[in-house]
Amino acid sequence: MEPMIIDIILVQESPNSSSTDMFTETVVERWIVQYDSQRSLAPQIGDASYKKTYKKSIILLRSVYSTLRLLPAYKAFRKQSSSKQNCNFEINYKICSFSSPFSREEEESMKKYSFTPVDAQQGRLSVSVIYREDLSDFNLDAFVSCPLEIITDYVGSLLTDPMRAFPSTSSEKSRPTSFPIRGKQSNSSSPFQRPHSWTSGIHRDVSTQQSQPFSGSPPLYRSPYEYSPSPTEAYIHRDQNQRSPIYHKTTSDDLLSPPFSPSPSPSPPTYPYGVNHVQSRLRSETAPMSIPHPMMARSPRYLSPNLSDPSRHSLPPLSPRNTKYDPSSHESSSGIRSVRRHDSLRAGELSNTPINVSQKLSRDAKEDSGRFSSLLSSSSSPRVGFSRSSSRLSFQDDFGDSDFSCPFIVDDVDPPDSQTSLNLDGRNSSDVSSQTSSTAKKSQDAAVGALVHMLRTAPPLRKDSSYYTSHSSKIEIEGEVGAASEFFKPRKTSDALEELKVYKEMKDILLSKSGARVASKENTGT
Amino acid sequence: MNCEDVEHFEIREVLRCILHTILFHRALGLVRPKDIDLELFEITYVQCGDVELERKIDEKIDQFIDRVEKHPNKKNQICLSFYEVKNKQATWFTNKVERLHWEQWYINLNVAQHPKGHLGKSHSSKVVVDPGDIATEARSARRGALESSLRDVLFQIIRFVNEKKDHVPPIPNLEGVSFPYEITISSSSDSAFGMDMFKRMLQTGHPTMLS
Repeated sequence: MEPMIIDIILVQESPNSSSTDMFTETVVERWIVQYDSQRSLAPQIGDASYKKTYKKSIILLRSVYSTLRLLPAYKAFRKQSSSKQNCNFEINYKICSFSSPFSREEEESMKKYSFTPVDAQQGRLSVSVIYREDLSDFNLDAFVSCPLEIITDYVGSLLTDPMRAFPSTSSEKSRPTSFPIRGKQSNSSSPFQRPHSWTSGIHRDVSTQQSQPFSGSPPLYRSPYEYSPSPTEAYIHRDQNQRSPIYHKTTSDDLLSPPFSPSPSPSPPTYPYGVNHVQSRLRSETAPMSIPHPMMARSPRYLSPNLSDPSRHSLPPLSPRNTKYDPSSHESSSGIRSVRRHDSLRAGELSNTPINVSQKLSRDAKEDSGRFSSLLSSSSSPRVGFSRSSSRLSFQDDFGDSDFSCPFIVDDVDPPDSQTSLNLDGRNSSDVSSQTSSTAKKSQDAAVGALVHMLRTAPPLRKDSSYYTSHSSKIEIEGEVGAASEFFKPRKTSDALEELKVYKEMKDILLSKSGARVASKENTGT
Repeated sequence: MNCEDVEHFEIREVLRCILHTILFHRALGLVRPKDIDLELFEITYVQCGDVELERKIDEKIDQFIDRVEKHPNKKNQICLSFYEVKNKQATWFTNKVERLHWEQWYINLNVAQHPKGHLGKSHSSKVVVDPGDIATEARSARRGALESSLRDVLFQIIRFVNEKKDHVPPIPNLEGVSFPYEITISSSSDSAFGMDMFKRMLQTGHPTMLS
């Protein structure tokens, strides 16, 4: 019979080729189990022989068990199991019935031990092991593959440093960020680049994902989450008013706020979702609440200087998101958001803010493509809406265009606007695309400002935390527990209809203005 | 069994490791193996997962430590023996149930007697070095040597267990340690050592297999 050969292989990164994924594999143990059938043995029939065989096999098994723990590879195994992420090696195994013999040098460095074979009725079972005695060559103790690094531009808690801008790292993908940004993120590796403590070492592979989705690479921050467009955005861009897509995010923003470009216009060509992107963008700008206005900083052209507007902080525990970002890095904010598949990760990211709820929400909302989950901290800090669908990200690209002008002045963010995230699902999809009124430019800012104000003062669409007006919303938010379910508190239909009307009106105004502008341009051009 | 120089505080771990390893190979019934990491050494051994057994072993180890402390200058030995119970015909001078020892393991431990500062003192006259450092180095070197010899002992146990299986009687009991066993402690000066062995042989009435 053919033997069964089990090779225990230690896999380590090749020291010579650090750039490529070259691994050296070394067999540290080779177990050979063989059953030799020997018909020549006098067959011992009877229970006694079975019992003996059985007894001896038990002893053999015990010996193998103990030996496994005494061999040098066991230490390596323990190291690997105890420090999975900091291990610079891996232990694999391979089972086959033949194996390449060891080279001479290898044989010399290895020891052999053969267990006493057990005689069975018609043969004999033998087990032997050849093992490498000395594993010090492999430097297994130096297992810090992810060297601890100090994040110099750490965002920190949203509460502590709200105005901090994200560094722009559009081209870098290397950081392990955990946003599995799906959808189109074209190159915005940067958004995710922002190093955060939770990102280190975790998702090294995220970068690929991150980089693609944002097609337009708008300076908007790419949040992997879909933001429900703010009402203003909706108004501006959409035909319908969906209020729902509004704010999902707002809050916590440093981490998660999408880089809204202030202007709803840039039609992010690729919104999978349609609506929201723009809206979300707008939202972020408008919402004083926690929408991180990373975008704002990033694309100064879009943003009005309101960034520093204290109103932004109007919402009480607004997450710092609003303020932190650098003008150049829209992505950074996205970096923070971990859209990673792992819920926990996501939760972790959000956890900067006192947003337990939001985490929960985000988790819940995660897979929901159309959904925006706004993160609302119990303290009603800005909500960050994440919708974890791949499409979400796409809008972010669009925002990067210089065409974008933020229709809203940063600070004018209407808290309520941002809140609406959650229900966006229904509405969003259809709306987005229409918005792309890239023509909406700075000249619209004033209109936007008015809109924002209107929105801000508008009664909350819903009672849940996701929506709040500037003042009343705060109260609302604060009142909310932040449970995920709160996002979906039922609202009266009449409230919803009213809000819809308001948005429609706003949209009409903006469209008419932009139409007028276009017309005037044409006139001047011709 | 090899003699090892063991410090007082190491006795417990060393003995536990050795005894459990032997018993793991002799408890052929259903066991729930437990991996135990030694604190003082980088060795992992396997216990049977039997609470009663653990208690018994710990008790015996405590007795051994007491004996060592009482007779520090004697060689101390712990003996683990497996026997079969045979009902012997009552003879005119004994009618006890006879124990037929089919395997005996002798563990000899040399417990280090010197005071801890000893090494430091001896070197201090020669080199102006902090005696503590020297003692520490010596201790860690000794610890390393002890660890490797302990590992050797464990390998030796496994080897013996594997090589000689024919003498193992049929399994009487599938619970816990399958075979009846006893752990005895003898600390004898060299001269009296043989007498203890002789006495034991008389009691069992059967030549014992010394491993």
